[in-house]
Amino acid sequence: MIARLGRRLVWAVFVVWATVTLAFVVSHALPSDAVRMVAGPQARPQDIARIRSELGLDQSLWVQYARFMSRLVHVAPAGAPQGDKAHATCAPLVGRLHLDLGKSAQQRRPVVTILAERMPRTLVLALAAAFVQVLLGVSAGVLAASRKKTAIDHLAVGVSLLGISAPTFIIGLFFQWFFAYRLRLLPLDGWGDTFMGHVASVILPALTLGVFGAAYYTRMVRDEMIGQLGQDYIRTARAKGLSRRAVVVRHALRNALMPIVTILGIDVGTLIGGAIVTESIFRWPGIGSLSVTAMLDRDGPVIMGCVLVTAVAVVLSTIAVDFVYAALDPRVRAEQ
Amino acid sequence: MRSIRRSSELVRSALAALALAGVGCSNELPAPLPSAATDASQPRRGGMLTTASFGDIRTLDPANVADGLVPQILESMFAGLIDYDVEGKIVPDLAERWTVSEDGTQFRFVLREGVRFHDGEELTADDVKRSVERALHPTSPNPYASYLASISGFARFVGGKAEHLDGVTVDGRYVVTFRLDAPDAAFLPLLAMPPLRPVCRSGGTRYVETWHPCGAGPFKLLPGGWDHGRQITVVRHDGYFRPGLPYLDAVRTLFHVNLTSQRFKFTTGDQDILRDFLSPDLLKFQADPRWKPYGEYELDKQVAGLAMNTEMAPFDNIELRRAIASALDREHLVLIRAANMRPANLPVPPAVEGYDATLKGQTFDLTAALEHMKRAGYAYDPVARTGGYPTPIPYTTYSQGIDEYMVQVTMQQLARIGIRLDVRVVDYAAFLALRGRRKQVAFGPAFWTQDYPEAGSFLEPLFHSRSINDEESNNSAFYANPRVDELVDRARHELDAARRKKIYGEAQEIICDEAPWAFTHYYRFYAQWHPYVRDYKPHPMATTDPTRVWIDRVAGRTAARAVFSGDVYAKLFGDGSPRGAPLSRSAGPR
Repeated sequence: MIARLGRRLVWAVFVVWATVTLAFVVSHALPSDAVRMVAGPQARPQDIARIRSELGLDQSLWVQYARFMSRLVHVAPAGAPQGDKAHATCAPLVGRLHLDLGKSAQQRRPVVTILAERMPRTLVLALAAAFVQVLLGVSAGVLAASRKKTAIDHLAVGVSLLGISAPTFIIGLFFQWFFAYRLRLLPLDGWGDTFMGHVASVILPALTLGVFGAAYYTRMVRDEMIGQLGQDYIRTARAKGLSRRAVVVRHALRNALMPIVTILGIDVGTLIGGAIVTESIFRWPGIGSLSVTAMLDRDGPVIMGCVLVTAVAVVLSTIAVDFVYAALDPRVRAEQ
Repeated sequence: MRSIRRSSELVRSALAALALAGVGCSNELPAPLPSAATDASQPRRGGMLTTASFGDIRTLDPANVADGLVPQILESMFAGLIDYDVEGKIVPDLAERWTVSEDGTQFRFVLREGVRFHDGEELTADDVKRSVERALHPTSPNPYASYLASISGFARFVGGKAEHLDGVTVDGRYVVTFRLDAPDAAFLPLLAMPPLRPVCRSGGTRYVETWHPCGAGPFKLLPGGWDHGRQITVVRHDGYFRPGLPYLDAVRTLFHVNLTSQRFKFTTGDQDILRDFLSPDLLKFQADPRWKPYGEYELDKQVAGLAMNTEMAPFDNIELRRAIASALDREHLVLIRAANMRPANLPVPPAVEGYDATLKGQTFDLTAALEHMKRAGYAYDPVARTGGYPTPIPYTTYSQGIDEYMVQVTMQQLARIGIRLDVRVVDYAAFLALRGRRKQVAFGPAFWTQDYPEAGSFLEPLFHSRSINDEESNNSAFYANPRVDELVDRARHELDAARRKKIYGEAQEIICDEAPWAFTHYYRFYAQWHPYVRDYKPHPMATTDPTRVWIDRVAGRTAARAVFSGDVYAKLFGDGSPRGAPLSRSAGPR
């Protein structure tokens, strides 16, 4: 188990390095000028040259890459004074091990600080959205499968089709208009200023993402459940006199959830990488909206930070899924 | 029986929701939120003004003004020696008065005594010199530093060969003098802009990124007042040098608010001034008599057109450029966004000093355009549709901008003189890089917003040969004419406004005739506010100056934070909707 985890983590490091390197090359290969975006569309060449030099962007691509990689994860010298300028853009990882993504060319703040501000907000939205989509998707899927070919089944399938077909910006705008503008029940957008404000603010974006994701889950759970409910072990369980609820929930649903676990893991990883459209609609200050702004502004250090967060989140969630899968399914455990 | 009742309730609710959606999607605008006392003339202190933008600010330092939104926030936090009033005239601000030497190279400013920074320290002439040097120092990322190159000793200071800027001298505790190498008509307009505004001593002598912004303006930023990427709230500076001002307790600016959300926020009173409109909404606001008294255009500060690279074929052919300039029906083009765009015939917008309404400029004349095509060697017969330029001309534009729409109309208009376009769309960042690169973009959209309200702010960067570079060329038409260069330089050194206008006029006539650009439109923003926002007038440079604005609001529409706080059914079916009368909530900061 430990050895397997170690192998997976080594592989994960390689995947993250490859992703980050590819992103670095691509962001520099684009036919645009990051310094022009910093200085503004009307800045003069002499001012642009000065800012380029100040940001170190007048160096060759290889020098910039070497500097980035050497700083990305490094060991700080022992006894480094507090507020050491050489480590002003770092975040300590473990002990003297530091993570340094440099500073944003646009905001002129350490990228780790920007990510640290955004991450909790992104996590809140990702987990809330995952909760909504699992709750709605699994409930509707189970209900539809256990009431197969009834009005409830048709309604669940129809609604899920609608959910899949409607893009998040339509769902989000509708929720915004209905719940926030017309009914004034919930905040229109933003993050809120108090704990209750945060809770109220997350409902609409989480619902938007959740409804969209739940539509897929409904269909998947329904199909899986119908398959499981036709299995011999279900017939045996019924013959033993188990209640309908016990058969559906304890036996069929547990097996039907296996593919959901896989998808959910990847979904959470992707959501941590940012729900770009939903964050933009609801002005949610997360990683997604940060990625878009950084990309439009060609803010290289922030782009690299967002790519790193997304890559790490997806890779770790994939590893977590593998282990959860093994924990849930004895057959997988036996194979391993 | 129970299930039947449930079903009927479900159906009724579904129908009600549909009906509600229909009502909500109607074209009618809700009424503006009234002021407490419509005839009150005595300003009331208190309250918070909320504005919003789809954009964001990057830094809050006068020495690094790198986006279009931040000047309005800097305007409220940092007072300058001089400033623009709402009519666009330069007026004293921190300076009580100033004198100019006869040769126009020395500006002597006498500061007001007793002016306090946000941290309570007194502002003196030393602070002015320190702030100027801080903003122009080579380690400062100031994108406007080179605009101040006329100050004596600038080159040595920026080149790191001098510790101090010789051209700025302190002649007493409250007297500071600027010396220029030569007379510069742009100096005062530039000084009125944010970059050289005095900053607190905590700002130091060099730009530091971690500095907490602190100036001598009417509002100050408290720690934690700026939530990056989300909003900024500045509060009243009680030590502001103008007695009794500002009236507001605070000003809040929200960032990244999309246009639909801004419309929702504005009509419910969660946002007090609206400037970013969906195009149909703007027309509705302007047509609605209830809203019309509370809306106003800002000054035209932006010119747009089609830049033709004079170093690249086919635009090295002056007659072809003239043909395109004559073929554009600008009245038709501006219909794309009629509420914001006005037809442009000159490079200098009407609100800018140096604009001359008597100049003819470029005008739509199809017959003349066909004649120019003939002289260019590409005669076109519009009846037989034969002739014209033989191959499609590459046209490089950017996505998600208004030009994406304009180019479609442009293509139709140029087809009438036998010119076809091959449109290539790139993203904005790539477009900015490509257009400034030598021999890279033959034809494409061009636009320029005034850096300071003077014709030179347009003519020098866009049409002077000095602005041509292999990379990052602001003269994206790569247009060079020694006569234009000479006129623009002469105008910059001419301090007499009437003579300067005449010189700029001659330069504009040449530019319009030789057509490195085909000018298309001037762009102007429109601001809409609620009646309870009093004494608001768009600022000519900074968009919003909240110094004299006050709030006279009886019934604020606070965002409904309490879930199910009211009768939801009544809100759905009754008059609890935002289009009804204001809710009876108390006035004050929201």
